[in-house]
Order: sequence, then structure tokens, then C-alpha cells
Amino acid sequence: MDSDDKDKFEPAKQNEDPMNFNSASISSEWQFCSANLSSAPMNLVRPRNSMAVCREDLIGSSSCSSAPMADSFGPALWDHPPTMENLGFVNISAQNNLSTSHLLGIRKVGPESVRGDIGWNPPSSMLKGGLFVPSALGTLPIAEGLPHFPTDSGFIERAARFSCFGGGNFSNMVNPFGIPDNAGLYPIAGGLVPGPQDIFPASCPKPVPGAQSEKNEMNIEACRDVHLAATQGTPQGSPLKNEGESESFARSRGEAKQGTTAGSSNESDEAEFSGGGGGGQDNLSMLEGTGGDGSTKGFDSKKRKRSGEDAELDKAKGAPQLAEIPKDDSRTQQELENNPSSNTSKATAKNNKPGTQGSDPQKEEYIHVRARRGQATNSHSLAERVRREKISERMKFLQDLVPGCSKVTGKAVMLDEIINYVQSLQRQVEFLSMKLATVNPRVDFNIEGLLAKDLLHSRAGPSSTLGLSHDMPMPFPAMHLPPPGLMQGGPSGIGRPADPLRRALQNQMTQLAGGFKEPSQLPHPWEDELNNVVQMGFVGGGGGGGSGAAPSGQDAEGPLPPPGHTKVEL
Amino acid sequence: MKNPQRSPTNPGSLRSRFTHVFLQSLLRIRKHNPTSSSSSPHREFLKRCSQVKVAAYVSMARAVGTRRAWSRATIWRARNGERRRNLLCRRCSKSNSRERSLGKKKKKKKKKKKRDNEEHGFAHEKKLQKLVPGGEAMDFCCLLDETAHYIKCLITQVKVMRSIADFYSL
Repeated sequence: MDSDDKDKFEPAKQNEDPMNFNSASISSEWQFCSANLSSAPMNLVRPRNSMAVCREDLIGSSSCSSAPMADSFGPALWDHPPTMENLGFVNISAQNNLSTSHLLGIRKVGPESVRGDIGWNPPSSMLKGGLFVPSALGTLPIAEGLPHFPTDSGFIERAARFSCFGGGNFSNMVNPFGIPDNAGLYPIAGGLVPGPQDIFPASCPKPVPGAQSEKNEMNIEACRDVHLAATQGTPQGSPLKNEGESESFARSRGEAKQGTTAGSSNESDEAEFSGGGGGGQDNLSMLEGTGGDGSTKGFDSKKRKRSGEDAELDKAKGAPQLAEIPKDDSRTQQELENNPSSNTSKATAKNNKPGTQGSDPQKEEYIHVRARRGQATNSHSLAERVRREKISERMKFLQDLVPGCSKVTGKAVMLDEIINYVQSLQRQVEFLSMKLATVNPRVDFNIEGLLAKDLLHSRAGPSSTLGLSHDMPMPFPAMHLPPPGLMQGGPSGIGRPADPLRRALQNQMTQLAGGFKEPSQLPHPWEDELNNVVQMGFVGGGGGGGSGAAPSGQDAEGPLPPPGHTKVEL
Repeated sequence: MKNPQRSPTNPGSLRSRFTHVFLQSLLRIRKHNPTSSSSSPHREFLKRCSQVKVAAYVSMARAVGTRRAWSRATIWRARNGERRRNLLCRRCSKSNSRERSLGKKKKKKKKKKKRDNEEHGFAHEKKLQKLVPGGEAMDFCCLLDETAHYIKCLITQVKVMRSIADFYSL
């Protein structure tokens, strides 16, 4: 039964918590929360005040779905747990802002803000019991009233997942805990951790290193342990997520209880994990690079989440990740959106959390919460972020390359321009090949090849192309005009191809018309043209020659040395 | 971002390399194809056009080398194009199953990618993949990279071809 599972999970989580949540009741509540969370839609994580959402929804929506919970909880751990964590985190953060005595106030605050999320409803409904587990963190007294839930491996798994999420923000978590003497709150780290745990992955890289507080360490360790175990299991096989998680959970249980010792073991586990990080290693490296986190723990937690959640995605990293990652597409996207903010605030997240003041910290916390939610794919989100940055960097480069795209903003329009440009270039190649096909039989390439090579190398035929360049760059459809002419005159071909040249030359520089000669006299016209050009100093006008690739052909002529320069060379 | 190797004066530049290879291929085409053919000159002309076009792309790909995916794909296509066409023709006549399976595999892959892409709204990506040789097997990030290099090479190619055409048509 789902409800049973839920119960099992929660107690299990509680047991794992080294912090020993104050009472099983809390854990039970948490279980409810987790259950609700699992069943809660992805929307749970919203960039709104998670606190408000959690509170109200948890209380308001009573049974989101006991049935799916158990089932969804497993796979949805990544998704849903964050909500729980968010809830917890929110509470924690709320506590940061408010005194523990304000537990009730926190709850009340909840309704005001996040309300918007429907997803929270289920959890809130579940928590009708009145004790929002996360809130329980802040309000130990409430926790006491929580029913006890039997520990369950599944619960442990969930807890582990949660811990993975909240790896980074333990410090924040701890702070609120510190305020109240609710030792029971610590279990939150293990059980309620969902909130802070979510944050952890986001802030793990940073907060972890910064989380110097013992509490944080403990929490982190607990989370990490869970994560490590989970991740270690997961990397081995995405389908084995749950299995791995269970294993890890078992391990984490022991580890979590060990506290600091567990942390060290976690580290070792982490090391192992990183070693065995299979497909996720790429992401790992990426994450490491991007996260720049010295804290392997945070990284591992992130990784674990990723591996646990999207081990497949990790493997598919090279491939269109979008296809895979979007399993939680909506969520990840949302999370990703929040991730930048959350990630950026990671470093400051921990700092922010302790110093939560007013709406900003709450927002940040909320973002963290969201990040946690998306932290399920934290590594993915980081990977996505890196990928997006890469893409934007390349788009910028392409913008410079494609003429007339400097003013274009937006990926879609830019891509359209790029596609058009490539198509126009290909059409030009086709047209020129037609031209060459007509010219080919009549030209002795051996000699002229060498000549052309030198000329081309040195000048890229600016003079000859000057007129054409002005002509050619004209709307590409114009290119189609000469080809018919060329085709008709194919075999006889000289005259026709010469027409556009002649026209262009005449249009551009009447003086050069004299230099226009039959192909048989190519070397001479070339020299004559050169002389003419030199004499007339037309080079300046022909600067854009040769580019022709785009309407603003001159832009493409960048690499070409100014005609004047080439003249000098010749 | 200008690569010094792109300067025309640099003998090892892409432009010089391409020019060299392209002129060689043009000569080869000229040699292989009689200038005057009794049969429809139009067809001959078209055939020569396509030959020159292919030669241009292959020359550029050769000049670039195998560093780039698109150049590799171009060279591979040119090498195996005829073979594939022959295979297809034969298979078509004999048994369509093999060819279809091969085509289906490719199509399935492409379709899957397309579906995935479509799901995510990457219509542009698909289009770009079609334009850039070898683009189907790349993720978006690499595709943009290849596109940038491909555009650079296309610009050089167009310039050289135009100068050659101008040179010879004048």
C-alpha cells in the first residue's frame, strides 16, 4: 500500500537521520510529506516561497495521492523529495528568518506566498496532521506530535535522496536548528533534509566547502552518505537506481548514524563513487569544472542525484541530452531556470541562508529549494547550464561570422539567419561551379592554374571580381539570371559568362572595361586590369570584391587584404 | 578571431590549399571530359557542373583535412556516394529489404533524432543538420561549431571560385 510504504519510508528516514528527529511523529509527518511530495506534481517546486507553499499546501491538500506516492516516490524521489526538502528547507529557512518560536508564524507565512503551487497541495493535505515536517524543523514542538512511522528501506532511500538534494544547505539548516534547541530538528537533516538537501546539491560545491559548521558537516555527511550510497549504486546502472539506493541507503543509515565518521566514510565512498561514476563522469568533470567546487561531497551529491535520477541522462550526455534529460523536462527546465540563480547563489546560498532577511533570502532559499527539486538532476542542470553556455558562445561566434546578424537577438532568428546564409553560400558555389564548367573546357589550367594561384593567393583577383562582387552580392536570386545565360551559351560559353562580367565592369568601372578580354587572353587582361586598377586606384572601390557571399559582401572581405595592399604586393 | 593562416599570402593557408586542390581537380575534370560532345551539350554541361561542384566541395574538404566532422563527412560521401548509389540501384532491383533496412536504420535514427528534436522544438537544428554535411550525427553544440567552420570554409571557397571564374572568363 502506498500509505504503508509511506509510513515505512518516513520512519526509515528518521532512523537514518543522525540527528534523530525529535520524534517519530515528526518522521511520520515527514513521511506524509514525503509521500505527498512524491505524489505531488512536479510543480511543487516553484520559485515562490516554498515555505508558504509547503505550509498551506501540506495542510490544505490532504491526500495528494497515497497510491502514487509509494510508486512515485521512488522514481520521483528526485522530483518530489525536493519538494519535501523544499518544504523542510523552507521551514528551515523560515526559521532562519524567524525564530523558532515562530514556527506557527512560518506556517502562516506559507499561505501568503507560495500558495500558487498546486503541487504543494498534496503534501499539505497529507500533513493535515498539522505538522509539516519541514516546519517541524523549526517547530520542534510540532514534531513531537508527529506520528511514528516504521522505518523502511524505501524510506531510507527517500531520505537518502533527500539528503542528496540538500547537501549544500545544511549550514543553513543547521542554523535554524541551532536557534531552537530542538535536537529533533537534526533528523531533518536526515529525514527532513529534503529541503536542505536539495539545496545541497546546488550549493554543495560551494556551501559544502563553506559549511564549516559541524552541524553542517553532520548533515552533509548524512546527506552525502545517503547520496554516496545512492550514487554509488546508481552509477552502476540507472535502472538499478532504486537498488543502488537501497544499498546506499542501508549504508547511509549506518553512516548517517555515525555522523562525522560517516562523513569520512562518505568521502571514501564518494571517491569510489567518483571513480565508478561511469557515464556520469563526463558530467562529473563538467560539474567539477563548472561547479568549481572543491567539495567533492557536494559534487557527489549532485552527481548522485543525477545518477540516481538520470543515470541514463548522464550516459546520454554526449547524445542529445535534451531527449533524455527532459524526463523531468518541465521540472528540470524550471529547475534549470532556477539553477542559474540557485547555482549562482550557491556560493552565497549558505551565507544567505544564515543571514536570511526579508524576502530576498527567502527567495534565495526558495530558489535553492527549487534547485533542490531540480537537484535531482543537479548534475544535469549543471551540465545543461554548461551546455547552454557553450551554445551561446558559439552562437556569438556565428553572429560575427554571418554578416548582418549583429543586431539579431534570439536563438531562433539567429539560426534562421545562419541557415539562410549557408544556403546562399551553397547556391553561390553551385552557380560558380556552373560558371567554371562553362569556362573549364576553354581554359588551359596548367599555366593559368599557377598564375591564378599566385594571383589568387596574392590578390584573390580583386580587380576581376570587383565588378562581379558588386554584382554578385546582389540578391542571390540574381545569380540565377546569369546561369541561364551560361547554360545557353554553354559550349560556346565565353560570351555569356562574360556578359555579366562586362556589365558589372561597365557599371562599376568603365575604365576597366577595356581590360575585359577573351579568356584566351586571360593573362593579358589580367595584367591590364591590374594596371588599370593601379592607375585608377580603383582598388579602394573594389575592396568588397570577392566576398560576394552576402549582401554586405564587404563584411566578408575581412580576411582579404585591401586591394591597395595587394596592388602593392603585385 | 582571424586565423593568421587564412591570410592569402600564407602559402599554407586554407585558401591556397583549396585553390591548389581545386585547380587540380578542375584540370582533372577537363581531362576526363571531352570539351565537345556530340550528345546533348546541355546534359554534358549539367554533368560537368555537378562535377565541378562536387570537386569544389571535396577540394575544400581535403584542404581542411579530417579535423572537422563536416570535411570527413564530405569526403566519405564522395567516396561512398557512388557505391551507395550502385548498391541502392542493385538492391532496388533485386531485393528492397536490405536497402530498406539500411535506409530504415538511418531513417529511424534520423527520425528518432528528429522526433526528439521536434519534441524540443529544434526545427532549426534539424535544418542545419541537413545543410551541414555530417550534421545529423551531432548534437547541437558540436553542430554549431561545425557550422561556424563550415561557413568560414564556404566563404573561402566562394571567393576562390569566383576569382577563378572571373579570371578565366575575362
